[in-house]
Amino acid sequence: MSELALIIEDDEDLAEIFGQALKAADYTIEIIRDGLVAQERLGQVVPTVITLDMHIPHVSGKTLLDQIRADERLTKTRVVVATADAQLGEAMRGMADLVLIKPITFTQLRDLTFRLHQKK
Amino acid sequence: MKTTLQKFFTPPEATDLDETRRRKLLNILLVSMSILTVMGIIFAAIDVLSRGKPSQDLMLIFISGPILLLLIAGISILNRKYSGKIAGTIFLLVLLVLFYFTDSPAELAGGRSFFVFIIPVTIASLLISPAMSFIFAFLGSLEIFFITISIGTSPNYAGFIGLFLVAIISWLSARGLEQALHDLRVVNAELDQRVVERTKELSAALTRETVEAGRREAILNSIADGVIVFDRNGTAILSNPSTTNLIHKSQSEIVGMGLNDLLDSEDVKPEDRGSLAALLEKSAQDISNLRVQWGRKTLSVNAAEVRDGTSQTIGTVAVFRDFTREAELEQMKNTFIAIVSHELRTPLNAILGYAEMLKEAVYGQVNEKQKNVSSRIMTNTQRLLEIVSDLLDQAQIEAGKLKIQMVACKPAVLLDNVRGVMEKFASDKNLNLITELDPSMPSMIIGDPQRLQQIIVNLTNNAVKFTDSGSVHVKVAPFGEKNWQIQIIDTGDGIPKDALAYIFESFRQVDGLSTRQHGGVGLGLSIVKQLVERMNGKITTESEIGKGSTFTVTLPLITQDVSSTVPPSRQE
Repeated sequence: MSELALIIEDDEDLAEIFGQALKAADYTIEIIRDGLVAQERLGQVVPTVITLDMHIPHVSGKTLLDQIRADERLTKTRVVVATADAQLGEAMRGMADLVLIKPITFTQLRDLTFRLHQKK
Repeated sequence: MKTTLQKFFTPPEATDLDETRRRKLLNILLVSMSILTVMGIIFAAIDVLSRGKPSQDLMLIFISGPILLLLIAGISILNRKYSGKIAGTIFLLVLLVLFYFTDSPAELAGGRSFFVFIIPVTIASLLISPAMSFIFAFLGSLEIFFITISIGTSPNYAGFIGLFLVAIISWLSARGLEQALHDLRVVNAELDQRVVERTKELSAALTRETVEAGRREAILNSIADGVIVFDRNGTAILSNPSTTNLIHKSQSEIVGMGLNDLLDSEDVKPEDRGSLAALLEKSAQDISNLRVQWGRKTLSVNAAEVRDGTSQTIGTVAVFRDFTREAELEQMKNTFIAIVSHELRTPLNAILGYAEMLKEAVYGQVNEKQKNVSSRIMTNTQRLLEIVSDLLDQAQIEAGKLKIQMVACKPAVLLDNVRGVMEKFASDKNLNLITELDPSMPSMIIGDPQRLQQIIVNLTNNAVKFTDSGSVHVKVAPFGEKNWQIQIIDTGDGIPKDALAYIFESFRQVDGLSTRQHGGVGLGLSIVKQLVERMNGKITTESEIGKGSTFTVTLPLITQDVSSTVPPSRQE
């Protein structure tokens, strides 16, 4: 079984594109489009990569990122912040492994996450 | 006492000034005569009492004295009520008669008392008219002539000549006196006239000035903008009602207030105080339409030096315009653009992603033609995304939200990234993209990597867009000791001289056609310029038609981390 990638993104189309990119980078993918669901799932699984949208329903991306960084099980998990807000992106650089400013292309995400995968 | 006497001597009806003078003179003479007569009567009385037996002379005084007083009273009434000239003539005739009784006829005709006949001659010239001295010289001579006949001596011809000589002298002096008085009166009248005219002029000027000042004040009061005039010491000396509406201080509060006291209000944000003071104190030439928040209002402030006629600075006039509504509209516009841009990006990102996935055969194999179409969708979507990004940046810059984050960054990485973004675009046009990092450039500098990259990418993108063959050369090098430069040199068409002035303006391209030909909305260079200026830098352009253009960005070189609290960017 290949490594798990969590896609936390509320936009249906972007979730599909990110999903396909990660699938192409050889990950098993799981798409979550709600903050509360994400919080619950993060307590159950140990993903290798998480793409995290900063604006999702119910729980903010920042809260989720804090939760991930506080969880000892997830120390090896790479977090890719995907946001349209360049300012917010800059602010997240200290906590995220990668910050991608939307628009994010399929190949860009595929190639970047593939490298994370290989590093492991 | 003096005024009472003056009143007493001055005749009541003062019409002709010369007549008045004469009547007054006669009054004085009459009074003197009365006193002398009374004294004569008293002396006569004393003489009678001391000697016990009155002489014939004294008896004469006792009889003639009262008659004389009555005559004087009569003449006085005549003088006061009717005519000074007639009264004077009668008075002098009385004198002539009186002389006859004062001494023996022989003495009068040519002896010790002859001199008394000079008296009516001189007095007549003063009392009646200058020429009357001759009449009285004649009358005097006639009286002497009859006296000499009565005593049987020969007439005193030498005396007659003497009297006429006195008459001539009196006539001349009286005439001179009257002439001098007349001239003096003319001069006085002219002076009076001049005073009247000058007073009228002054009063007219004063009225004009008042009207003018009132008009100016009315204009100042009806200006919708707030106006405050400061003197050279920065004290407010004038303000209008609109100012009161804008800054909620009454005119009387503002006038007399120092600049610092005016700004030291909780309505003025501390960060605005410095720039306002700089504008108002030095009336800095380069600042205009300074936007400040004053209480709930947004004000646009301008200032200008006030110079007097000799070009001396006498103060500063500041104009405050209510910009609240405009600022709100601007804010709404920027928010609108930001929202729209943000909302546009997500679906555009989706289109880009799907097109790319089609092309990458994620959903199954595609033929060459389909791949091509996918590429075309991607290119056009990218172009749209660029426009949206530019609009968003522009909106952020205008809203003042764009922040420059100074962190440590590597020039080499910047150039690598630019190459990564631009290489394909350049090679698609068969252009040679050269990136060059001067070896003397520090390997680490302090700057905003994201914005620096945006500047270089925008300029390079622009250069590639407008270059059809040759190369685009991106060069990074130190400039002097305190600056560094980014140069983008292309071998494109060049920019016409007249266009160089406005290529950095928003929504401008060199001509309408090239917009369609090269795409974009004309915000790229404008954003670059604003970013460079936010970094305290400068951008210049040199261009030659047919040879190419060079864009040079000069920025302050900071190598020590001035904001160590900001963590180094992970981008490097």
